[in-house]
Amino acid sequence: MTSVARAPSRSSGDPTRAGARGTAERVQFVPGQPDMWAFVLFEALVFTSYFLVYVVCRTRNPDLFLSSQAHLSLRVGVFNTLVLLASSWSMARCVQAARERSFRAASNHAFLTMLFGFAFLVSKVLEWASEIEQGFGFTADEFFSFYYFLTAIHFLHLLIGFVVLGIAVHQLSSPARRSQEAIETCATYWHTIDFLWVLIFALLYVMR
Amino acid sequence: MTTGSDKRLLAAWLILSGITVAQLGVGSLDGGDALRPNAAITSAAIAIALVKVRVILREFMEVRHAPALLCRLTDLWVAFAGVSLLGCYFFGMAASAG
Repeated sequence: MTSVARAPSRSSGDPTRAGARGTAERVQFVPGQPDMWAFVLFEALVFTSYFLVYVVCRTRNPDLFLSSQAHLSLRVGVFNTLVLLASSWSMARCVQAARERSFRAASNHAFLTMLFGFAFLVSKVLEWASEIEQGFGFTADEFFSFYYFLTAIHFLHLLIGFVVLGIAVHQLSSPARRSQEAIETCATYWHTIDFLWVLIFALLYVMR
Repeated sequence: MTTGSDKRLLAAWLILSGITVAQLGVGSLDGGDALRPNAAITSAAIAIALVKVRVILREFMEVRHAPALLCRLTDLWVAFAGVSLLGCYFFGMAASAG
């Protein structure tokens, strides 16, 4: 059985339900609130349906999609992906630090996650501006309609992610509020933004 | 403080970043200028993306510590996404060629 040091208490007031009892007690656990996982799986299915519609439309007119895709910068896509992966790593370390009761380090990692998220946000806006400046707006063709739709709906999730990170920082800022479950729930949402982007990157920038 | 968990997270991040940089090479296999339909590049892109998604789920989202139901549900979604995306691509390309 895969195991991890974690106290079984689900009390939201217990700041270290994973580590309070040390390594003696090892149990399986759902990271964060189960409701968030229901939301994650729902979002994964919704985005999968968007991706399937995109792939079907793409195969109907591959030449148009490929000629438009050539106007995107693969390097920018790779940069954006690396930045979001770094944000996810930082958020995972935030959860780990909170579990080890290193709350200052956890807050620092949460702020670092925000910083990486902001870098992605700025990079994406600059990329949109560059495409629009070249004449490739939302209505330029079918590929760019999908490009703006998929990246914009992901962008919206990213903006919500900043609110979620704010909640994590708020939780970490006071001993009275600290809840490991809440911080894990915030992290679960943030990582969802990351893995959805990984798929968007492959489908918009790399596939042929 | 560097713990075993921190090292594992660092290793996961380095692997994910390495794969992402490798995708730069996959996306440049056909020259990168005049793009043409390429089933090998598409298959590699989708497969690599799903491997990355699974690493994120298991390592960053800690699904590897989760009960079997959550592990299976996430794996099921990854498998469904892979089969359906590649299926739609190959079926659609064959239909448009025919």
